[in-house]
Amino acid sequence: MTPPSDGFFLDDRAETQGVDWRLLRRLLRYVAPHRGLLAGALAALVLGTACQLAGPYLIKIVIDRHVTPRVLPGMAGWVLLYLAALAGAMGFLFLQMYAVSALGQRVILAIRAEMFSRVQRLPVAWFDRTPTGRLMTRLTSDVEALQELISSGLVSTIGDVAVLAGTAAILLWMDARLALVVFSVLPLLAVFVELLKKRIRAANREARRKMARLNAFLQEHVTGVAVVKAFGQEGKSDRRFDALNADYLAENVRLTNYFSLYFPGVEMLASFAVALLLWHGGGGLISGAITFGTLVAFLEYAQKFYNPIKDMSDKYNILQSALASSERIFQLLDTDVSPEYGEPAPRGRAEKARPAGRAESSVPAIEFRDVWFSYPRVDGGVSGAGAERPPALRGVSFALEEGRAGAIVGATGSGKTTVLSLLCRFYEAERGHIFLFGRDIRDIPRGELRGMISLVLQEPFLFSGSILENVASGGANVDAALSAAGVDRFASGLDAGLSTDVGERGGRLSMGQRQMVSIARALARNPKVLLLDEATSSVDPETEHGIREALPRVLAGRTSLVVAHRLSTVLSADRIIVMHKGKVREWGTHEELLAAGGIYRRLHTLQFDY
Amino acid sequence: MIRDAVDAVSAAGAGGGAGRAAERLRRAVALMALLAVLHAFFRYLSRRSLFVAAREVEKELRRRLFSHVIRLPLPFFQGTPTGDVMSRLANDLSAVWLLLGPGVLMLTGTCITWLIAIVFMLEISPALTGLSLLVAPLVVVVSREYGRAFHRQHRGIQESLAAMNGTLQENVTGIRLVKAFTLEEREEGRFGADCREYYRRSVAVARTSAKFHGAIGFLAGAGIALVLYFGGRSVIRGELTLGGFVAFNAYLAMLAFPTMAMGWVINLFQRGNAAMGRINEYLRLPAELPEDAPGPPGGTPSPPPGAVSPPTCPILEVKGLVFSHEGGEKVLRGVSFALGKGEVTGLVGPTGCGKSTLLSLLAGLYAAPPGTIFWEGRDAVEIPLTERRGRVALVSQDPFLFSDTLLENICFGKESPNPAAASEAARAARLLDEIEEMPRGIETVVGERGISLSGGQKQRATIARALYGERPVLLLDDALSAVDSETEREIFEGILKASGEATVLFSTHRMASLSRCDRILVLDEGRIVEEGTHDGLLSLRGRYFDLYSRQMLARELEEAT
Repeated sequence: MTPPSDGFFLDDRAETQGVDWRLLRRLLRYVAPHRGLLAGALAALVLGTACQLAGPYLIKIVIDRHVTPRVLPGMAGWVLLYLAALAGAMGFLFLQMYAVSALGQRVILAIRAEMFSRVQRLPVAWFDRTPTGRLMTRLTSDVEALQELISSGLVSTIGDVAVLAGTAAILLWMDARLALVVFSVLPLLAVFVELLKKRIRAANREARRKMARLNAFLQEHVTGVAVVKAFGQEGKSDRRFDALNADYLAENVRLTNYFSLYFPGVEMLASFAVALLLWHGGGGLISGAITFGTLVAFLEYAQKFYNPIKDMSDKYNILQSALASSERIFQLLDTDVSPEYGEPAPRGRAEKARPAGRAESSVPAIEFRDVWFSYPRVDGGVSGAGAERPPALRGVSFALEEGRAGAIVGATGSGKTTVLSLLCRFYEAERGHIFLFGRDIRDIPRGELRGMISLVLQEPFLFSGSILENVASGGANVDAALSAAGVDRFASGLDAGLSTDVGERGGRLSMGQRQMVSIARALARNPKVLLLDEATSSVDPETEHGIREALPRVLAGRTSLVVAHRLSTVLSADRIIVMHKGKVREWGTHEELLAAGGIYRRLHTLQFDY
Repeated sequence: MIRDAVDAVSAAGAGGGAGRAAERLRRAVALMALLAVLHAFFRYLSRRSLFVAAREVEKELRRRLFSHVIRLPLPFFQGTPTGDVMSRLANDLSAVWLLLGPGVLMLTGTCITWLIAIVFMLEISPALTGLSLLVAPLVVVVSREYGRAFHRQHRGIQESLAAMNGTLQENVTGIRLVKAFTLEEREEGRFGADCREYYRRSVAVARTSAKFHGAIGFLAGAGIALVLYFGGRSVIRGELTLGGFVAFNAYLAMLAFPTMAMGWVINLFQRGNAAMGRINEYLRLPAELPEDAPGPPGGTPSPPPGAVSPPTCPILEVKGLVFSHEGGEKVLRGVSFALGKGEVTGLVGPTGCGKSTLLSLLAGLYAAPPGTIFWEGRDAVEIPLTERRGRVALVSQDPFLFSDTLLENICFGKESPNPAAASEAARAARLLDEIEEMPRGIETVVGERGISLSGGQKQRATIARALYGERPVLLLDDALSAVDSETEREIFEGILKASGEATVLFSTHRMASLSRCDRILVLDEGRIVEEGTHDGLLSLRGRYFDLYSRQMLARELEEAT
């Protein structure tokens, strides 16, 4: 559970300087399986560029051999050849673009799948400290940036580089002196581009950040519009929005300034090159050193040479941001998975941990022995990441025999839910041991552990799909689960019955119905241990009544541990565990606890006297 | 605009200079260099001024749109997915900017280049001009078709991207369940299917795009080939000078890019237009106005409140309130009750009985029909919206906080935050101790950009927000469902102490909280079916008794044994 390094959070500032070859090599590893496609793309690229570069040379031939000496016969042939070269160039261009895109998309597909399966296996604590919105941005926009690099940036960059190299070679071959004239502006161009590039990149990043801020503000105010209205704060929101909007505009104006300077500037320098070319070439022509055709071809090539240079900076930008994105993606891929996905600990430890001399028959179903735990501090990346909160559990010990219903009660923050989370191994206990049927849960393979227990969360969360699909995702014992949880009864009243679509997060069902479905889902796997974080607090009394009727059926003969908020649940439990500030204060049956006159008794009176 | 004239002239200089005497060459080259500088300068000016102007327009439009949208009535937001609103506020606006900035620049640039180049080309050779322009319409048509296909396919990509992100979001939100039920592989399957669909569509777009680039390149090149042959023949026949031939080619090359861009420009305009249409759809929706207080249909001006209403008038009175959401069934079917100043009233009833709707109506979030809600004897529809809302602090079921500091959140209802008063409100809401444990106390940022609060903490923060404003009426809509009953009791005490004279109306599912109310209203199927004190209602042995005894059944059973 190493915390991700700060770069993951400081997305606004994260930036790699220059090209990180380590990252590129790692990216290339994803390309390796598609070698064939890559080879095809490169072949098409080389052939296409050759065809393309042949064009101006063919024009030179036409001018020198036919137009200048005024010889018509045979000219049509050259022109047709020119057309053929053109057709070839475009055909190969098509193949190359297509192949490179397909290649890029396949790489992205692989990265996406790998990232998804990695994310799912990260520890729950990791999700706690990563706000969903930010995580989603990482998972989506970083991959999109990488995809942008591969699908558009890479395709055209490879093409551009090939054209540049090819043009330079042909120019040198045709007339080295004249070629040097064409290149003479390059150093100047390099300085100009370098001067602006950094500013453009910085302004671009800043503009994007401001845009993100603006959109976050918008999103929030659309979602929370009822609050804005209820408090009559439309005017205040307007003013705050105006400030963000003006910020964004200012950044864009800055960016526009640079860009307005950049493109005309590059073009001007390119024009200087052409003027120089005419100057020298024209002179050479007059003195007969070069042919007229050569000059025309040179003009064409010079244009081909400077065109790709114009948007080099853009390409570099894409490359930079894609590399920054891929760095974050790889960081995510390198985050350690939750320990339960690893191999179970070596046998020896299991033997040691198992209480010696305990008879098999008396082994409790659930046992906590001096368990300590504190949540890692949820930190917005401000400072002190990794610092821990005060312990949520301070030496919790209790045992629950097989077939018994246990209820945990206590005030908010007393650690009730934490007990369930630790049993599911969402978090690792810091000290102490948790035993399930006498085995330390760290020694039980993940699949087996989670096959034994079933969980109902406090806030019922359903996956999009039908009621039936949701219940069936729990396990095979669907029919019995449906009737035990009372789902079949309410479902028969729905138009589509069990195949009713529950909507996004179960939004089309009422809260109570969602709870019943999530109980059914938990029962569907016929678990040995049922963990239930009672959520009846937000349900109306009638639905609660329905759930309460179902619960005894559900709990009968099953080992269960319920975080109880309702007295009725507590009363029907065999064992009651009273928690207070992370400790088990009292533990026993209802009568025992009332007689003891402790916290439980006080809670009990409160519930009625208020 | 001048830049294109410059473009044309510079090429003319190039053509004219070639093959002539050295003197003329030198002059032409010097001229060309000068023109290049001028060209760059004017292009800089035109780009800059046009783009900045377009950005200004975009900003102004965004400002207007936002300020309009947050003033749209609440039902609009309930009927419109957030994604849709966001897409108009973000994507459609950038489509408009693309039209106004790059779109207009390209369009004018292209037109001028075309005009000037054609004039010069006609001067050199009308026949060749006609010939070379044969392909131009084709190029425009092809690029336009491509733009359409691309746009359509791109929308498909966006859809599958949304589906993919939806699955992702669901997985991340429900990660505990995924783990608890070992659904990792099932989820991978679902996500994998989404990814493959996305892949398929992306590759289809790539194919379209590659085809287009090939076709357009070929068409543009074909024009050059035509001129090469026929122009070359004309030179051989002596109908055209060599310089003219070269210059002509140069003009044609100059036109290639703008012609291709034309299709793109057409698409920018179509898309920008459609986006503007969608934005206007929103702008045309009637917004709530702060002084929005349309009198009753008769138009009789409301008498000054003090004149008519006797001093004993209840602070809030509801008379025969009937209400249905747009196109829906009636949620409230004639609700009547009154709240006396300083009274604490409970509201109870099964899910879906209309509690939340009633509270939202009282808070002025929905428009109630005239003559149904009275504030100190004054019909609510006659009271300006801001004033009406200013009387009420509503804490809704679903706690919503902005990603900002706790201080800003608690002080949301007031212009400038007052830390001392905010702490006081937080104390009353039983949140202060926890705030003080946070890394930056009340300046801690919560939500997406900061730390995430638990459900109970969020609820208490929204209560602190409601208490901060010291508004005369406090409406709590099942606002304490995520805190335990002991804390709830403490909070209630805090509220009563903090709000002093305030009138409180709260709905709850927790029957035990109701026993200390001055009065309890039982709402069922859109009507108040019972009304009275806890003991009085219990003795009625009616609906309230029913609801209460179900929750307390276990206790009674216990006592019986």
